[in-house]
Amino acid sequence: MTTKLRKRSPGKGGMTRRRFMEGSAASVAAGILASRLGGFENLALAKQRADEVSSYLREIPTVCEMCVWRCGLRAKVRDGVVVKLEGNPDHPHSRGKLCPKGNAGIMALYDPDRLKTPMMRVGERGEGTFRKASWDEALDYVAEGMKKIKEKYGPQAMVMSSTHNLAQLQFENLMQAYGTPNYGTQRSLCFNAMVMGFTMTYGTSDVGGDYANTRYIIYNGRNLLDGIANSETQDLIAAIQRGARVVVLDPRFTKTASKAYRWFPVRPGGDLAFFMALNHVILREGWYDVDFVEKHTSGFDILVEELEKCTPRWAEEKCDIPAEQIFEVAREFAEAAPRAFAHPNWRASNTLNSFQTERAIAILNALVGNWKQPGGLLPSGGEGGGLQLGCYAQPPYPRTAAMRLDGVPLKYPLVPLKLGVFQELRDAVLRGKPYPAKGWLIFRQNPLMSLSDRARTLEAFRKLDLIVTIDILPNDTAYYSDVILPESTYLERYDPLSVVGNKVFLRQPVVPPLYDTKSALEIFKLLGERLGLYDFFQYRDEEDYIKTQLKTVRISLDRLKQNGYYEEAVHEAAADREAEMVFQTPGGKIELASKTLEQVGFDAVPKWRELPRPDKGKFYLLTGKVAQMTQSSTQNNQWLSKHIPENTIWIHPRAAAVRGIKDGDMVFVESRIGRIQLKAKVTEGIRPDCVWTTFGYGHRSKGLRTTYARGALSSDIHQSLTDPVSGSQALSQTTVSVYKASV
Amino acid sequence: MKEQHQKRYVFVIEISKCIDCKACMVGCMAENQVPVEHSRNWVHQKGPNGVFPDLGMSFEPGNCMHCENPPCERVCPTRATYKRDDGIVLVNKDRCIGCKYCMMACPYNARYFDEKKGVVDKCTFCVHRVTAGLDTSCVHTCMTGARHFGDIKDSNSEVSRLLATHEHHVKLAAAGSGPAMYYIY
Repeated sequence: MTTKLRKRSPGKGGMTRRRFMEGSAASVAAGILASRLGGFENLALAKQRADEVSSYLREIPTVCEMCVWRCGLRAKVRDGVVVKLEGNPDHPHSRGKLCPKGNAGIMALYDPDRLKTPMMRVGERGEGTFRKASWDEALDYVAEGMKKIKEKYGPQAMVMSSTHNLAQLQFENLMQAYGTPNYGTQRSLCFNAMVMGFTMTYGTSDVGGDYANTRYIIYNGRNLLDGIANSETQDLIAAIQRGARVVVLDPRFTKTASKAYRWFPVRPGGDLAFFMALNHVILREGWYDVDFVEKHTSGFDILVEELEKCTPRWAEEKCDIPAEQIFEVAREFAEAAPRAFAHPNWRASNTLNSFQTERAIAILNALVGNWKQPGGLLPSGGEGGGLQLGCYAQPPYPRTAAMRLDGVPLKYPLVPLKLGVFQELRDAVLRGKPYPAKGWLIFRQNPLMSLSDRARTLEAFRKLDLIVTIDILPNDTAYYSDVILPESTYLERYDPLSVVGNKVFLRQPVVPPLYDTKSALEIFKLLGERLGLYDFFQYRDEEDYIKTQLKTVRISLDRLKQNGYYEEAVHEAAADREAEMVFQTPGGKIELASKTLEQVGFDAVPKWRELPRPDKGKFYLLTGKVAQMTQSSTQNNQWLSKHIPENTIWIHPRAAAVRGIKDGDMVFVESRIGRIQLKAKVTEGIRPDCVWTTFGYGHRSKGLRTTYARGALSSDIHQSLTDPVSGSQALSQTTVSVYKASV
Repeated sequence: MKEQHQKRYVFVIEISKCIDCKACMVGCMAENQVPVEHSRNWVHQKGPNGVFPDLGMSFEPGNCMHCENPPCERVCPTRATYKRDDGIVLVNKDRCIGCKYCMMACPYNARYFDEKKGVVDKCTFCVHRVTAGLDTSCVHTCMTGARHFGDIKDSNSEVSRLLATHEHHVKLAAAGSGPAMYYIY
C-alpha cells in the first residue's frame, strides 16, 4: 500500500498555502495582536464594521480543545485570520457560550512560541538545544528507534501515553498495533476513585445530575466555578438562581463555596466520615426510600451494620463539621429527595480514602432512590455512548505477552486496564523492573509536570533511549525529548468525530496550518506505516477517516462541514430502555455492599480509616483549578496568563502571622521530597491547617517565553502516594512546612 | 408596527450570577483587538469578607458605564469623546490628542491609554455589533447570564423587565455622572 497523505488543497478563496503563510505571517505580526482597527470612532466606521460582521466574515463551526469539555464553537475568520471564537448555540456543551479559555483559543493558534517544524535534539537532554528537521527525517528516526526497541527488548519496552482527546482512539490503535501494553493516561491522576466508586456501586460512572429539576446538591471538592465545565457550570448557576440549595465541602473558600447555601471547610480526608454519617442518619431516621432500596439494591444489612456507630457525633471530630449540621444536611437532603443528589465529583478530597468516599457518596444517592428521578442522578449517556460510528475492518492486534508496568492487574486487581495507574508506570520505568523500558512516546500530554514527584519523572526519563513528544507547544516534556513532532492546533486540523448522545460533531480546520505541522491522524498514519503497520492505518487522509466514521450516520461530510453537527432521531425503543432500572453490576442491582470488593480483600462497604494528619506546624498541601487555566497547557497563552501570570500559595492569616509571613511575601513550601518558592496569598478563605496553590505553573521549558519560570510547580513537592483500591494518586496526603524565604 | 423611539442602551449586571471567570474580558480582547496589556472591562472580586469560616464573597463585572452625563466628555479639550443619542459614549481617535484628562475624570477608571496609537481607548458598547443587531461580545459569551444589555426606553426589553422587577444600584451614584450600568444584587 502506498498511501502518502494527499497534499492539502489550497485554502478557500483561491489562496495557495504558500501565499497564505506569507499573508498570515504579515497579518499576524502586524495585525491581530497589535490591533489593526482598534476602536470605532464614528458611526460610519461602525457601520462599515457592522457590514463586515455579516459579509466579510466566514463562520465555520468546529469543536474547542482548550480543555476536555469539547464545546461546539463557531470560528469567525476574516482574510484567513481567526478573529473571534464564539459558542455554537446548537452544541449541548456550550449552548452558545464560551469560557475564558475557549475565547482565548485564538491565542493558542497565534502563540508565537508554537512548535513550527519537527525538531531533533542536538545538545544534552533538557538543555533545550534542537535543530529543525524535515518530517521524513524525524519520522524515520522515530520509527527506526521504535523498531530497534521492539526487536531488541520487545514492544513492551515502549511506553506510550496520552491524555483525553478525540484522536486518542487512533493513538491507542497505534499502540496496540505496535504491541505494547504500557499505556499512561491522566486517569489515575484524576478520577480513578470516582469512576471505580460509582462503577462498583451502579455499574456505570457515566453519571450526572438533573440540574433542571433538583432542589439540593452536595459537592465534595468539586469546584465548578473554577474547574469550569461550561454547560454544567451554567446549570449550577441556573439551579441556584431557581432556589436549589447547594452544599459545598472544601477546605478552601472557593468561588463555588461563595455561592453555596452551606459551606463546610472539611478536613482533607474527613469527607468520608461526613458521608458515612449522612448515610447513618438517613438509615437511623428511616428517611431512605424503602421500596427503591428493597427492589434495586443489595447488601443493605451489611451496610446498616457497618454504619451503626457512624453517628454525626462520631464524624464531627474526623471531618471538622459540627454534628448538628451533619444531621441538618442529612435531613434537608432526605426531604428534598428524590430531587436531590450528591455529586460524584472528580477526586473528592484526593486522599487515600477517596475511593471509599466515592462509594459512600454513591450509596447516599442510592438510599434516597434518586436514580433516574427528576432532580436526581441521571446516567448521562455522555460521549462515547449513543450514536455508533463506522470504522475500518482491521486485523486483530498482536498478542501482548508482557505484564503491564503499572501493576494492573497484579497489584491493582480491580483497576480497569483503561484507567491504569500512571504514577506506578513511571516508577517501574525508573526501577527498570519488572523489565526495563527503553522508549516513551508522548502525545498531547505533559507528564514532566502532571505526574507528582517531578524529580522521579526526570530520573525515569534518564533511563530511556528514545523520548518523542507530539504537541503544539514546546512544553516541559517536549523540552526534555529527543524528537518533537509538531501537531496542528485544533483550529487547523481535523480530528475523529465527537459523539454526544445522539449528536455527532465535527472538528475541522478553520484556517490552514500556519506552520509545517500535521494533524494527529496524519502523524499516527505516517508513523504507523513506517513501522510496517499498514493494515491498521487504512485511511487515505483525515477526510477519508471521517467519511468512514460517517458510514453509519445519515449525513455527508460536506453537509457536516457546513452544519458542524448532525442529530439522529432518538428511537422510541432506545428511549424506553433508558427508563428501565438496569445495573451492570455482578448482581444486577445497586451494590450497597460490594461482593467484588470483598472477594479481592477490600472493604465491601465504606469503612473509616484514620489517615495521618500533618505534624504540628505543618500543613496539608492542597491543589485545585483556576477558571482561566487548563492543567499545564494554557499558561503560555497571553490572553490567559495576563489574568494569572503566576501561582500563589494560600495561607490562613493566623498561620501566616506566627511565621512572620505577610501577603505577597516569598515563601518556601517544603515537603519530604522537595521545596518550591511561591508568593504568599494571606487569606481567610482557607483552613488554618491547609495551604493551597494551583497546578500548572513553574515551567522549565525556555521555549515557553510567556510563562517560563513563572510561579512554581506543585509536582516538585507532591509525593506519589496511591490509593490501593483505585490506583488514584492521593495528592492531599502530602504535608508541607511553609516558611519565609529569607532575603 | 413597532414603535419608533430614541433608544437608550444600558447594561444590567446580575451580581449573584457572576463567577469571575473573565470570559467577558477575554472575549472583548478578541472582539475589539485590545492590546494584551490592557482591558476594556473587568471583574472585581469583593472579599472574602468576614472571619473564617463565616465568609462572604462576590464578583462585580464592569466596563465604561456610558454615563448620561459623562465627565470624560466634559473635560475633553478636543471633543474627541462624545455621547451618541443612544447613550453610547465613544472616542473619536482622529481628534484624540492623548492628553488623558478623560482618564483622570472618569470615576470608574474605565479608560486606558493606548501607547502604540497615542490615544485613549475604552469600551465602545460593541457599537459595531449592536449596529449589526447583535449583542455585545461580553454579553454574548457570559456563561451564566450575569451580563445583560438592551434599550431601557423599550419597556419590553430584557433590561427594562429586569430593572422593573429587581432592586438595583449604580456605582458611585454621588459622582452624578448617571452611569448606564445597573447592578442587581
